[in-house]
Amino acid sequence: MADSLANRVAVRDRTVVAPATPVRARRSRARLVPLLYTAPALLFYAAFVIAPWLHSLWISFWDWNGIGVATWAGLDNYREILADPALRLSLVHAFGLILFYSVIPICFGLVLAALVANVPWKGMPFVRTVIFLPQILPLVAVGSVWKLFFDDDGPFNALLRAVGLSDLTRAWLGDFTWAYPAVGVVGTWVSTGLCFLLLYSGIGKIDPALYEAARLDGAGAIHEFWHVTVPGLRREMSVAATVTVIAALASFDVVYVMTAGGPGESTLVPGVAIYRLTFTAGQVGTACALAVVLSLLTCAVMFALNRLTREKT
Amino acid sequence: MKSMTSAKSALSAAAVLLALGACAPGSSSDGEPAADANAAVQTGVPAGPVELNLIATPESGAAMKDIIPAFQAKHPNVKINYVDTTYDDYNKSLNLALSSDTSPDIVLLNAVGTTVKDQLILNLQPYAKAYGWESAYPAGQLNQWRVAKDGTTLGSGDLYAAPASFSQVGLYYNKATLKKLGIDAAPASLEDLEAALAKAKAGGETPLQLGNKEGHASFPIQLIGQSTDGPAAYAKWVFGEGGSTFDTAGNTKGAQSITDWGTKGYYSKDANGIDLQGAVDKFTKGDGVFFVDGSWDSKKIGDALKGDAGFVPFPGPKATAIGTSVAYGISRKSKNAQAAAAFLDFLRGPEAAKASFAQGFLPSDTSTVTAEPGTISADLIAAWNKVNADDGLIGFNNNATATMNDTLVAETQKLIAGKVDPATFIRAVQSDWAKTHG
Repeated sequence: MADSLANRVAVRDRTVVAPATPVRARRSRARLVPLLYTAPALLFYAAFVIAPWLHSLWISFWDWNGIGVATWAGLDNYREILADPALRLSLVHAFGLILFYSVIPICFGLVLAALVANVPWKGMPFVRTVIFLPQILPLVAVGSVWKLFFDDDGPFNALLRAVGLSDLTRAWLGDFTWAYPAVGVVGTWVSTGLCFLLLYSGIGKIDPALYEAARLDGAGAIHEFWHVTVPGLRREMSVAATVTVIAALASFDVVYVMTAGGPGESTLVPGVAIYRLTFTAGQVGTACALAVVLSLLTCAVMFALNRLTREKT
Repeated sequence: MKSMTSAKSALSAAAVLLALGACAPGSSSDGEPAADANAAVQTGVPAGPVELNLIATPESGAAMKDIIPAFQAKHPNVKINYVDTTYDDYNKSLNLALSSDTSPDIVLLNAVGTTVKDQLILNLQPYAKAYGWESAYPAGQLNQWRVAKDGTTLGSGDLYAAPASFSQVGLYYNKATLKKLGIDAAPASLEDLEAALAKAKAGGETPLQLGNKEGHASFPIQLIGQSTDGPAAYAKWVFGEGGSTFDTAGNTKGAQSITDWGTKGYYSKDANGIDLQGAVDKFTKGDGVFFVDGSWDSKKIGDALKGDAGFVPFPGPKATAIGTSVAYGISRKSKNAQAAAAFLDFLRGPEAAKASFAQGFLPSDTSTVTAEPGTISADLIAAWNKVNADDGLIGFNNNATATMNDTLVAETQKLIAGKVDPATFIRAVQSDWAKTHG
């Protein structure tokens, strides 16, 4: 994202400067100037994102425990990832989380934003703050609180008992069927606020004339929602999807705190697997290989997402 | 972004540092010769001011707040700085701490791990000879810290850590509930235990308190396993001796029993969602007639249940326990190894023994401590003496490989949820073991 933003800025600058003096030297200097502006950011990006990524890639070809002597492993670490059912499963889980981190929150956010936009309230700033609050909290704290909530003696079971559903009570995070959705719900809770705010601010930018025209054509509220609001929010939805999909694929904190991947491997995600491989198993090479695979998959998803949501011109 | 995983950022940070280093990741062998087992060493504390840094975990290091001042009072020229970190974080950072330039001098070792293979800790064999540790401790108590030349096989070879005190996993029981059920004595055999569990179930009690969120169902499995197979044979697998297997009659019986007890409703169907401390809390509130746990929780249980708290070695033909020592090693980077070794020797003295026992850890020599009859402390000493008389102390299966704890957590969770049968469980555990000890 940072890249494409920098490009866009660069392009805009060029179109302003270039036509004035169409000399070759000028033009190349004009190209350099915006680069200079972005140099500090690029430098940091290279030092703290690109270089470590390349180094992870390098380490992923070694059999190394993080301390001792490394031996060349070639593609063995990658083969191990493909051969290990638990690690493969962790990747599947990460993609499954997209439903909880992105799809549901964006749907919720859309509906909420459309509802709120139609009815201007006095209490709006307060509501906005409350809905956005989960985004500000540290995820470790969020995970701890939700862990207590789903505890066998926790509030959720108390609630079920209070309404006469005591047959349904269980230790949710220790249940092979329910632990994964229970962890996923937290993602929905965290992401909904962000999606709502993004989409709500987007609705404000939609030309009111479009709604007026739709109404003149006899469209009801639902028609308006589908044919004006949703298409008008394409850009905001794309941003929301990008941010939340990355959060889903890179999830670690919430899962680690709530279940540490259990019971069995039913909530294991790549973040937790990488952490374990590095710090417990001492298989830093395999951990890096999994990290590389995850980052490549994330890039692929981002690429697809960008293609999908790009505005047709 | 805030959801950037800490694992990733830690990796990146490590990677940047390493990028400055050599081509292949990691330090190549630094060329220092491995400390000779026959090196000449001196006993006692050297003259002149000495500062030692000691790191441990809050539970195992609890006694240090009494032991360190006692040592410093004897040796005023020595100053010991104590730092503790929670168990999980400690184990994950220990190797990095030992390999850093600011390595601590004395470190708590929860397992040998790769500390010997990667030449991070000092061979203590010369000090063991100089101080006579080998005759002071029963062989079984030192074997866990002996490492063979290959750096991974335990149980024989040179000594790398000195035990300060010991923990034992056994069977807690609630005396009051047991009496109410009409049972007079703690079970002496597995059959007795199963009969008592059945009686408790019929009497409307929770027969067995079990929390398996962190995999503690592996305790009863190992205890049934080792008492069935015999401690000497069983220990070979834990030590990683080549050719050993987890697929034994004892382990099969252990895994089968846990499965059956679950089917019969002897423990909560929510066990996979309850952690160890949660189970301790439930047991101290009277939920559970029996509870398999370590002596480290004896203070909490004794304080809550008072005279109703009982502890015996897990019933079987021989008195066996899962146990390990709270043991300390010396960093190879320590500049004050002699003073550090003197401190390790002090750990087996009577002052240290009393301080450790007050925290629920047993001294090697129980004659240095006393307990009031009828208390959980008295039960702990009696159980400890019985286990040692049968030479039945065996290390944790969880320490058999670096990943064994994670494997046992995941696999016991599947086992008690009925996702796998005992045979599949045993295969999965053995496959982890084979990756390291093949």
